[in-house]
Amino acid sequence: DNQEGDGCTAKKYSRDFLLKFADQYTSLPEAFEVTSDIAEVFTYGVTISRSVGRDHH
Amino acid sequence: SAESKGAVANQPHPLEHSWTFWFDSGSSKTKQAEWGASMRPIYTFSTVEEFWSLYNNIHHPSTLAVGVDLYCFNHKIEPKWEDPVCANGGKWTVNFNRYKSDTCWLYTLLAMIGEQFDHGDEICGAVVNVRGKQERISLWTKNASNESAMVSIGKQWKEFLDHNETIGFIFHDDAEKYAKNAKNRYTV
Repeated sequence: DNQEGDGCTAKKYSRDFLLKFADQYTSLPEAFEVTSDIAEVFTYGVTISRSVGRDHH
Repeated sequence: SAESKGAVANQPHPLEHSWTFWFDSGSSKTKQAEWGASMRPIYTFSTVEEFWSLYNNIHHPSTLAVGVDLYCFNHKIEPKWEDPVCANGGKWTVNFNRYKSDTCWLYTLLAMIGEQFDHGDEICGAVVNVRGKQERISLWTKNASNESAMVSIGKQWKEFLDHNETIGFIFHDDAEKYAKNAKNRYTV
């Protein structure tokens, strides 16, 4: 977006609007792998670091 | 092509900026000199949908281990004082008792990524520091000397959190020089 202005062109979303999506997106983004160095941040049930190179063809 | 998968029906909602979650585990933090050495980027998101996909699978402050810092920063900015964008910045901070900051952490993130601040372009990101007796959320900003913008951000943040106690703004410069003795430059 190359328009100038004090946030006139900003994509604004209210809290209520954003919260409507909360329950619809519960799976991790596709192709995202949780490696062991960041595993501590993720809740139980998230698969940690599958073998490296899994997606190589 | 995307059309063949019916992607049109589930069109994602793009955010104004991309944001990156970062994490610094308490375990390897020993000396101030090593601060930031254990900082890891977790994931960069740029849509409402991606935000929830991540947020719904990571711990909220109340279930994070003591010592952990969890950041959500504009993806162009590293959550470090040394980052050129942060160098002249500062932060507003709200303190909570342990286990009490989850809702305010979420509301802080939603206000930030939803561009609810009038001076959103002055915001670098947010961090929650989980400690033994408290959880501390800070909002990092770019130009600490821009008092009117900083005060506006602080006031709006309190409104979004429905927080009634006075909060203070500390310059990163002062924090670096005086550590815990750094004084608030602004309060709202």
